[in-house]
Amino acid sequence: MILVVGGAFQGKKEYAKKMFSLTDADFVDGVVCGSEELYQAKAVTHFHEYVRRCLKDGKDVSGLAKELMRRSPKLIILANELGSGVVPVDAFDRNWREATGRICCDLAAGADQVHRVICGIGTVIKGG
Amino acid sequence: MLILITGGSGSGKSEYAENTAKALAEKEGLPLYYIATMKPFGEEGHRRVERHHRLREGKGFETVECYVDLKNQELPGRGVALLECVSNLTANEMFEPEGSGEDTENAVFAGVQALIRRSVHLVVVTNDVFSDGITYDEVTRLYQERLGRINRRLASLADQVTEVICGIPLQLKEKGSMV
Repeated sequence: MILVVGGAFQGKKEYAKKMFSLTDADFVDGVVCGSEELYQAKAVTHFHEYVRRCLKDGKDVSGLAKELMRRSPKLIILANELGSGVVPVDAFDRNWREATGRICCDLAAGADQVHRVICGIGTVIKGG
Repeated sequence: MLILITGGSGSGKSEYAENTAKALAEKEGLPLYYIATMKPFGEEGHRRVERHHRLREGKGFETVECYVDLKNQELPGRGVALLECVSNLTANEMFEPEGSGEDTENAVFAGVQALIRRSVHLVVVTNDVFSDGITYDEVTRLYQERLGRINRRLASLADQVTEVICGIPLQLKEKGSMV
């Protein structure tokens, strides 16, 4: 498993396409994809939005990282870093932000590689 | 030694900070103190505090609660102290009735300096609350500005500054570096 994190609009997808020789067709989008689509995919972009939709549907996401690692051990996951701002006023947003952070910690712990992208520039922070 | 640890919410910085403090204490046979700064408000606040309690369980910390006036906080002994976290402490000093209000920046900084004097090693956790691009109301902006200034002052004093991302520590400043 490979995790690519970074702030919004930092070029994570372009970086991942070049780095891992992917095309647009290899990605599912966390904004719209279903869970089976996610498990079958080569790569997922906007993974934080997938987490958001799970929480909106009242699903328990505490085991999501483990399940992904079990069912899709080769998945390339692109997720925004969400935690570096003022604590959101809205309780759902607070929960989403924290849950996404925890899931990314779990994914990073199990991942073969973790990359962080800023200004289009990736740094391998694990498994380089 | 002063170690400053920063990161966003849910970045894994607390766990890294606890493990760092514990490793230092074990290596040098020192007692381990946890300085808690968060007043648990409501159910969510209690859940957060409980989660941190669970994380610390079995790691051998003695907990000292300090919401404001860190400068005058005594510790049970001299050892390794973990202060968690500067962002809460800054909010308490700014917004609590017993806080220091306009003098928040100096109060927090003097508090950390006092802890340095009372400890062999101090591990300080702070928070990155600066990168969401949203322009907040005046009071929140003032809070961000004060915390930003405190973080910079602490980083300049620190022997080691570490940013934690997804549980992975990145060394921003290391002992002996000229930052």
